Amino acid sequence: MRRLPDAAARGKSITVDLEGETVPAVEGEPVACSLVAAGESVLARSIKYHRARGPYCFSGACSHCLMRVDGVPNVYTCRTPARAGMKLERQNAYPSAKVDVFEAIDWFFPNGLDHHEMFAGVPVAEQVMAKVARQLAGLGLLPASPAPERMPVQTLRTRVALVGGGAAGLAAAQVLASQGVSFLLFERESVLGGRLVAGAPEPDAPKMMDTAALPSGSVRTRATVIGLYDDEAGRFLAVVADGPEGLRLLKVYAERFLLTPGGHPPLLPFENNDLPGVYAGRAASLLMRRYGVAPEVAALVGWGPELYALARLMEEHGTKVAAVVDLKGPVPSGAPAGATQGSEPKAHGRNEVSGFSYADASGKRVKVDCDAVLVAVATSPSFELARQGGAKVEFDEAREVFAVVADADGRTAAKDLYVAGDVTGGRSTAEAAADGRRAAEALVGSLTGGQS
Amino acid sequence: MSKTLICSCEDVTSDDIRHAVSKGYCDVESVKRFTGFGTGICQGKGCLSAVAALLCKEKAQKPAGLLPFTPRPPLYPTELSVLASMQVDESQPPVGGVPEELAVFPPALRSEGTVPAKAKVVIIGGGIMGLALAYNLSLRGETDVVVLERGYLCAGASGRNGGGVRMQWGTSANIELAKRSIELMGRFARDMGINVWLRQGGYLFMAKTKAVAQRLERNVALHNKHGVPTRLLTVDEAREIVPGLSMAGAQTASYNPEDGVIFPWPFLWGYANGCRKAGIKVETFTNVTGFETSDGLVRKVKTDRGDIACDTVVLASGAWSPEIAKLVGVQLPNEPHRHEILSTEPLKPFLSPLVSVLDSGLYFSQSMRGEIVGGMGDPKEPAGLNMGSTLRFVSRFSQALMEQMPHLGHVKVLRQWAGCYDVTPDNNPVLGRTPGLENLLQMSGFVGHGFMMAPAVAERMAGWMTTGESDELFTRFNLRRFQEGKLEREDMIIG
Repeated sequence: MRRLPDAAARGKSITVDLEGETVPAVEGEPVACSLVAAGESVLARSIKYHRARGPYCFSGACSHCLMRVDGVPNVYTCRTPARAGMKLERQNAYPSAKVDVFEAIDWFFPNGLDHHEMFAGVPVAEQVMAKVARQLAGLGLLPASPAPERMPVQTLRTRVALVGGGAAGLAAAQVLASQGVSFLLFERESVLGGRLVAGAPEPDAPKMMDTAALPSGSVRTRATVIGLYDDEAGRFLAVVADGPEGLRLLKVYAERFLLTPGGHPPLLPFENNDLPGVYAGRAASLLMRRYGVAPEVAALVGWGPELYALARLMEEHGTKVAAVVDLKGPVPSGAPAGATQGSEPKAHGRNEVSGFSYADASGKRVKVDCDAVLVAVATSPSFELARQGGAKVEFDEAREVFAVVADADGRTAAKDLYVAGDVTGGRSTAEAAADGRRAAEALVGSLTGGQS
Repeated sequence: MSKTLICSCEDVTSDDIRHAVSKGYCDVESVKRFTGFGTGICQGKGCLSAVAALLCKEKAQKPAGLLPFTPRPPLYPTELSVLASMQVDESQPPVGGVPEELAVFPPALRSEGTVPAKAKVVIIGGGIMGLALAYNLSLRGETDVVVLERGYLCAGASGRNGGGVRMQWGTSANIELAKRSIELMGRFARDMGINVWLRQGGYLFMAKTKAVAQRLERNVALHNKHGVPTRLLTVDEAREIVPGLSMAGAQTASYNPEDGVIFPWPFLWGYANGCRKAGIKVETFTNVTGFETSDGLVRKVKTDRGDIACDTVVLASGAWSPEIAKLVGVQLPNEPHRHEILSTEPLKPFLSPLVSVLDSGLYFSQSMRGEIVGGMGDPKEPAGLNMGSTLRFVSRFSQALMEQMPHLGHVKVLRQWAGCYDVTPDNNPVLGRTPGLENLLQMSGFVGHGFMMAPAVAERMAGWMTTGESDELFTRFNLRRFQEGKLEREDMIIG
């Protein structure tokens, strides 16, 4: 990974402390981004086999970037802004994550291990294994210090609670605002827009709206929804808001909930898919567009329009695209030159990606050198909140994902719950925005007592 | 070493999923439990769809049977200190809970065909009680047995408990049962070929009021009489066993180093495998819909997969027992009560015993995987089969845990869930014959400690059923006691 030539202006240059070494970083950007840009690809060791890990999803949906940060274990460095002097330590490794003797476990068990039957009932071995397993288990040591006193919970009431400020959520917010319906929108990131600002640009994508035009106080960024609960006062979202005074728990009661949380970047199963240097496609576009960090040479694998849009984005910014392998095919017309249909992808490299191979149409293996493998596949709908709220979730065989069941207007099995965008299956940003508008209109129509 | 990861949080490979399928674990919930996929930091965000796609491709499951495992709050790891910031109105009962659990599992999950048309013994409930009983019957030569389970194995309380096993009880009967159970647990891997990870790190009970302190003091004498090495601890001794433990407000503490924790799920799989090897049918995703009776005997058990004519029926359905007993006109005194529980991020080992504040019912331990697993009963919890999760519980628990372990505020909660205690008026089980229906045997009412009692109770019950020899356990805890008012209350209940 490298910083693009124009990246210097994106923030103040600072340094962070990585196990005693001083590493350059850019203030405010995810510290995992600073680390990979500085050439630190191994950030962690995996829980069982001690496999080398580096950031993958940049959305808090995997575990590859967990580090000990300022004495707190298991912190998502992909979501932690870089601060001058912050202390970063790799976990679960001895003597170090770069050379971890416990990696031997990975080599001892090339075909995996069945912890249910291993040494079961074998005298002595069983006891020894239990002792060893306990010592090896777990990720991270206890926090170094107690947590600060948190501000008391804040209770908010609104007519509509919106979750997610991507294409669907913003389009819905615009409808609500124009119709004078009060709402609160919660966005986990520090900026709104989702794929509109961080995805690989789509040809028919709607323009990013002017979010300053939304009613003041209606949007909360850096606010993570952790659950849709209920109690004696009704249904509410539990939200953890990160502000200047630290983390604060919010309870948000609403008459309607419009869920547009998008999807998670899934892990595509292929050989060495967890090697540092393998990135989710949406992580790669985010790094490129927001932070100006990109691979030198990338191999792209996946399917669907996002695969090709990502290839174009990479090439436009000077990343050499060594391969674009479509696992479903056929390669559509207008695809970047060199795109090909293939199967059985594999990442190569010792502790980080140095190459990528696949089987071509004739079954012959083709290998290319690269420093990153970018995985652009159908996003995995973030259905959890909707399911907690009573919506139905079904497996979509064609897309190979679980998605929330909703009608064209975003109505779900739960009366007060509407959904739009990626949460109902893979959608383009244009489609997601149209979904969001329709759902917001249907939702407003369902409100009793008029608008306020 | 080249590997294809499907769940990278827990290092589960695609081959691990195929291995689970080859062992007969084909529904998403079972594959999750057997392989551990989706139980790590990301809670399945990156892997759940990929696992479902693989199960579909391998034809392990029909698309209609592919359901996501129940998503548990919080959606993202959340610090105890943040969750503790909500004040709870303890004077009001808890309301609601998310998500709603499936009342009936989709028929697509069932195996094809009907249940056997007849069997000597039908056991209703494939939790640890029912499976352990079936297995013990097979050891005594009785294999004409069918076990009926409404969901997957581990769907009920047997799959939802914290895995604590202890000899520290308030009555001789429970102390003796627990002692025998822990002995059987110690050799389970040898007997059944599957690890259950018994770790005897002890139980440390704290008392904050005088009355509870006196109870602990009385118990020590009783335990010692039964050969259980329980002892009272000084503040310094307690803090030596649990570094960082706050003993503020504690009157006393008791400790038995031989108590411990186990990993609950493999017990069910181990017993079920043992049953199947002996020819016993374990029918999952099968619902009991009614009974046929005549002349004071149950003649048939009706299910949504056919009827089973039988000689003996055992009701071992835990919190569902009253509901099923009603189908045959029997009123049980049991009531289901939701008990919530949570699990944190995995940490390197730091906590040896299970710690419990007997006054509030708070308990917490560290699992073999490194997670802090704990719960705390809610005195205001209304009766009902509710398995939803509340913010109220995580807040109450976080406050109570941080009171005892103030340095854990930055530790993050990964998931919360709930199960149902099967509560009886005297906190003791319902065992033995049913007045008026002599061949309906009761095996329920274990009030949240059925898991640790099951190996011993099942052993005794199988002996009683097959030899016809009398056993005081089945008269002492008979249903008649509630009419006769002969109740001996167990008051060492936590969670």
